[in-house]
Amino acid sequence: MADLELAGVRKAFADTVALDDVSLDIAEGEFFTLVGPSGCGKTTTLRTIAGLESPTSGTVRFGGEDVADVPTEERDVGIVFQNYALFPHMSVRENVAYGLKFADPPDGQSVDERVADLLDLVDLSGMGDREPDQLSGGQQQRVALARALAPAPDVLLLDEPMSALDARLRETLRRQVKRIQTELDVTTVYVTHDQAEALAISDRLAVMSDGAVEQVGTPREVYEEPATEFVASFVGENNLFRGEVVGRDGDDDAITVAVDGAEFRVDDGFDGRDRGGEAPTAGDRLTFCVRPEDLRVDADANRFEVAVETAEFLGETTRYYADWGDRTVVFRTPDPHGGDALTLGFDPADTRML
Amino acid sequence: MRVTRVAERLTAPALAVATLALLSLLFFYPVGIVLVEAVRVDGVYTLATVVEVLRDPFFFGVFAQALDDPAVVVRSFPDYRLGLFGFTAYQALLSTVAAIALGLPGAYVLARFEFPGRKTIRSLTALPFVMPTILVAIGFVATFGATGVVTGALQTLGLQVESFTGTLGIIVLAHAFYDAPLIARITAASWEGIDAEMTETARSLGASPLRAFRDVVIPQLLPAILTGALLTFIFSFMSFAIVLALGGLSLATVEVWVYHRISQLDYGTASTLATMEMLFSLALTYAYLRYEARQRATSAARPPDRIALLGPATKRRLFAWGYAIVAVVVFVVPIVGLLLSSVTGPEGFTLRNYRFLVERQASAYAFQVKPLTAVTNSLIFGAGTLLLAVPMGVFLAIVSTRQFRGRKLIDTLSMAPFAVSGVVVGLGLLRGFVFGTEAFGYRFTVTGGLAIVAAHAVGAYPFVTRNVAPALAGIDGSIVESARSLGASRARVMLDIELPLVVPAVLAGTAFAFAISIGEFDSTVILATGDGSYTMPVAIERFIGRRLGPATAMGVVLLVVTSVSFVIIDRLGEGSGFGG
Repeated sequence: MADLELAGVRKAFADTVALDDVSLDIAEGEFFTLVGPSGCGKTTTLRTIAGLESPTSGTVRFGGEDVADVPTEERDVGIVFQNYALFPHMSVRENVAYGLKFADPPDGQSVDERVADLLDLVDLSGMGDREPDQLSGGQQQRVALARALAPAPDVLLLDEPMSALDARLRETLRRQVKRIQTELDVTTVYVTHDQAEALAISDRLAVMSDGAVEQVGTPREVYEEPATEFVASFVGENNLFRGEVVGRDGDDDAITVAVDGAEFRVDDGFDGRDRGGEAPTAGDRLTFCVRPEDLRVDADANRFEVAVETAEFLGETTRYYADWGDRTVVFRTPDPHGGDALTLGFDPADTRML
Repeated sequence: MRVTRVAERLTAPALAVATLALLSLLFFYPVGIVLVEAVRVDGVYTLATVVEVLRDPFFFGVFAQALDDPAVVVRSFPDYRLGLFGFTAYQALLSTVAAIALGLPGAYVLARFEFPGRKTIRSLTALPFVMPTILVAIGFVATFGATGVVTGALQTLGLQVESFTGTLGIIVLAHAFYDAPLIARITAASWEGIDAEMTETARSLGASPLRAFRDVVIPQLLPAILTGALLTFIFSFMSFAIVLALGGLSLATVEVWVYHRISQLDYGTASTLATMEMLFSLALTYAYLRYEARQRATSAARPPDRIALLGPATKRRLFAWGYAIVAVVVFVVPIVGLLLSSVTGPEGFTLRNYRFLVERQASAYAFQVKPLTAVTNSLIFGAGTLLLAVPMGVFLAIVSTRQFRGRKLIDTLSMAPFAVSGVVVGLGLLRGFVFGTEAFGYRFTVTGGLAIVAAHAVGAYPFVTRNVAPALAGIDGSIVESARSLGASRARVMLDIELPLVVPAVLAGTAFAFAISIGEFDSTVILATGDGSYTMPVAIERFIGRRLGPATAMGVVLLVVTSVSFVIIDRLGEGSGFGG
């Protein structure tokens, strides 16, 4: 096990910059997720950690040691790819045992014992003699996981390991991966484009966009206190309002913001936290956001009239898309509403300044 | 651990050096000798021979005449003298036109009709890649020659015919037999890649079926047709065995004349002509490779529905049926003719010809060709070829799938034997090794047999490479990366993962190399001169005039070996690399 550090990593390809000054500190035993839309650089980051790409500049450290000159095969990493990448000419057992040709099994185990242990760990005991093409997608993925874990790597790297599987299987496998990771306490870097998956599985996550890290934090921090507009709209659903500060109401933490002619009282973002900088004053332009579950029908404050455009029944709740002037707002409520015209509102404390 | 790691790191460069050294020895050095001999007379470098050839109307026809007397261009219009080079290009052009005329309808039938055995026939269109040219020649002699099956059949019908061989027409037909399947294959592949919805869109916009075909289908087929035509022209320009066996000296092409000069021991002229031909064929091959590289294989989202070949007569079906008859006559009859000739004699059905092959002829004179010797020589040289060509081919395939500086150069150099005719390689090996070469104060000579194996290996390894390289490139990169992350070095990944996965392609390449060696004629016939190291194709050529029966029997043996190799290639391989 080791902690993992990326310092100012930059990766330029012939005509594009894939990574621009990426710095991350990943603690020993942590489940760390890189999440972002396709092309954001998350997979390049993972490949740089693995040594499959070398950074144009910047440093990667394993347990404090620069690994620039260490080739992939000597880095003690285990990788699981989206397409499983099982060796098609080897049985399940041979696949899992492959890495043990180059490293002794941990705890003085024999190769056979280690392989049996790992197949057991991923619930594939008795499947050792199967060929990869006799397995389902989910089973193949578990073999790939067992194979990556067999030499007891310092770092486990998972590159969108579940995106080829259907939704229900993905949730089951996700729980299994999390359980195994906790059990082995192996430092894990997980790449996904699915923000919901990232929130569900991670100890901490980094939201990436255009080759740069937008925000690093626990799932709750990233969800509740998005640092940028990108994070606010990429992680979970959100309503973004851009407007101009009109003024401050006395000693209150709230300010008044004018958005398209309407005025809203919102939290100024300074209560209990010190983010540095200056509190917003009249005339500043800014953006704040309100989560769909915080927009309420017939609330006391910040009321505005909307016309319902579409309602989506989601089971537990219903999601509404509604027109407010030229813009569309989204809100969710457990109680269905009839009719087209509604009055929505939100509590100033439920807003988040960006 | 450390020592093995170092050893592993050194393996790849060591193999690279070994392969390039071997390639230099077997190919670049002999070809270089030919180049040098073209410009050296009695140890002095001079362009005299080159100029002499260029000014000789025998070689360059009206172009040479025009150098002295430009008025000849007007005076002799339009009845120009072609000269050797002109005639070679002329017959190649005719052959290309014939192959297109014969191949395009085939492409149509293969791409648009459904019938039992369609896939088998489609696979068979790749047969010319492994079919020895001498086999085509003997098939045509057995069918259209003086005692040929078709000639005989026409005579029984009361027609006054003697023989069709020795005419330009039969050479062109033999080339078409050889190359039309390639054109059909390449064009059909492109045709099947055209989406039905494209034609349907054109129709919905108001185009008639014929108009839609002209505006939508033909433009998309054109690159494939041109690719096939260029390939056919190159093959026909460099064709040797077919022209030698069916035309002889009276219809000599450059290759045949080079061979003739060699047999007259006039190596200077032979080298000059060979060099000129080589420059021309290299330029053509370069053009072909450039053009081919620009083609992108597409696959249709929804190919058009195929028409059942059997059913009520429609215009399309009548056309297809008509073509089927032509195809049977052109492609099947020569093979049937070969088989029939091999089992018939003056007394009717006989196995005499086959017995002749295996009987040791203790009574034969030393200069006579012994058939059993030819058979065993062919097998021994074939095995020797595999020992050289398979490792070389596999290694170059590995090299060609790696990214490094200078890879393109190595790629090009390693594919060069495609563009250099066997006659040139044979001439170079003969002058360089069989006659001996001086180095470090010693004179090294190599026997004909070793030189033949070298020539075969040079001709065969590009086919190994072209089978193995796509298979290697097709391996998912993440499989390799997984293995590396598990601790395997690059060389280990190659041994444990990549090579086991391309075993079928290696086997296909091996079969290809064996077929090439067994069928190789061009360089073998030169290197086997005055030596006991003749092979089956050479024996066939020597038998053709005098002993047609044994020649056809030997042809059938070749056909069987070729067919077995072909089945292996078809089942396991990635094809020839020429348009799938």
